[in-house]
Amino acid sequence: MKLCEECHKAQATVFLKLAVNNKVTEAHLCQACAARKGMGLETGAFNISDIVGNMSGYFKDFLPSERKTLCCRSCGLKYSEFKETGRLACAGCYSSFEPQLTELMARIHGASQHTGRVYSGGAALKRSPAPAARRREELRAAIREAVAKEDFECAARLRDALKGLDKSHG
Amino acid sequence: MADVIKSFRPCVAWANAGGAWPDMIFSTRVRFARNIEGFNFPGHAEPRQLEEVRRLAFAAVRGSGLFPRGHYFKLEALDQVERRFLVERHHVSHALATSALPTGAAVSNDEDLSVMINEEDHLRLQCLRSGFAIDEAFGSALKLDEALGRALPLAYGVKFGFLTACPTNVGTGMRVSCLAHLPALSRLGRMPQVLESLSHLGVTARGIYGEGTYVLGDFYQISNATCLGRSEEEFCRNMDTVIRNLIRQEITAREELLAGPMRIRTEDSVFRALGLLKYARSLSYEEFMQNVSLARMGAAMGLGIEVDFSAFNQITLLMQPAHIQAAAGRPLAPEARDVFRADYLRKNLG
Repeated sequence: MKLCEECHKAQATVFLKLAVNNKVTEAHLCQACAARKGMGLETGAFNISDIVGNMSGYFKDFLPSERKTLCCRSCGLKYSEFKETGRLACAGCYSSFEPQLTELMARIHGASQHTGRVYSGGAALKRSPAPAARRREELRAAIREAVAKEDFECAARLRDALKGLDKSHG
Repeated sequence: MADVIKSFRPCVAWANAGGAWPDMIFSTRVRFARNIEGFNFPGHAEPRQLEEVRRLAFAAVRGSGLFPRGHYFKLEALDQVERRFLVERHHVSHALATSALPTGAAVSNDEDLSVMINEEDHLRLQCLRSGFAIDEAFGSALKLDEALGRALPLAYGVKFGFLTACPTNVGTGMRVSCLAHLPALSRLGRMPQVLESLSHLGVTARGIYGEGTYVLGDFYQISNATCLGRSEEEFCRNMDTVIRNLIRQEITAREELLAGPMRIRTEDSVFRALGLLKYARSLSYEEFMQNVSLARMGAAMGLGIEVDFSAFNQITLLMQPAHIQAAAGRPLAPEARDVFRADYLRKNLG
């Protein structure tokens, strides 16, 4: 009888094979521990961080360090937050963090220039004034927050974004 | 649960064992990750913005003319079994099925095209084909991508290409993947080396339902690891080469399993597995997958198994937990499901 690798008490009845980072990993668990970890076969999915630790560390190691104040000019996402989660918040993040992302792309894709299909744009959206108004309010709130934290550089960028929005939506 | 599931056919074309090498490549998928310009990516957008994205996406899909009599779902309106059913059909990911955001899915009537809305990106559109069919899947997915790209302004930049929430998807935003059945390589204990060699070829292997899912019944989802710096066609060609190589390795492994003293051991395992599928009184999904993997291999090897090869594919689809509950017409506890699964197999394979 093989014991559960988690509690070392009950009999291991759930045998899982996972392919993570091109390696097959096996886990032998009892029903209770498998369910507790959300790893029941009924869901067909496992929580990857349970198995291989926090995957966002992957980005942390590859992304260059930056001053704490760096944030996205369009949405205000902090570079430090991106580094933590590995996820960007809007299309504008790509231009705001371009030098850092260029370095990251070279590491993960072995290239930093798109050479695939060229996209020439689709139909413009008829945006109702409501989203623009909401966006303005979000930006104003982000500016207030940045000022409160004395992050004036970020506040200035957000103010520019707000001006840009005012111009495009009148 | 009945309404959504009843609207789907019991069998799907992409699991009909057509295309090239259907005994080793269950299906081929090409997907594109896209975002709509002017909206934050789903993880950082307000629910109201995401509802607007969903409305725009559904309208663009309808307008494409590629989804006649298609299915459109708001996932929050579906129950657990229905969501799980869509995951099992490979139309939505586990992440979308469990998301708390306003999400959606559109599925074409013959189930070869689908679009996930507000998963990690606003749009994840895909084409699924039976067997090894990279060119066909790519051609159809591209047509859908172009139609949606005309209807909606997509987030795109000259330097990084199509912009996505995760930098690993940026560029072409394209993943080509093949669901490969590799029982002989697994049986001979060669999968660790195979997976290791794949990582040097810009290719990655995952479990049966994609990222973060289990390897069940020796099925591996093989896909390109990078999407930037090469054209879509080059990525397709690379995958084509890798998969052909993998097929050759699996063929060699199957030949080894049938040579000399190995043959009787292989036949014994295959027929024991078939016996279990035919006569068991209770069968968990995991146990089913282990055994159907061997029986499927036996059928492919021509060992005199009377079950039609494509029947194994359809059974593999139908024996999944939500499909079992769909067949029963009511939610079932895991133990009841295992009994139902064994009953179904006894009636249909016996």
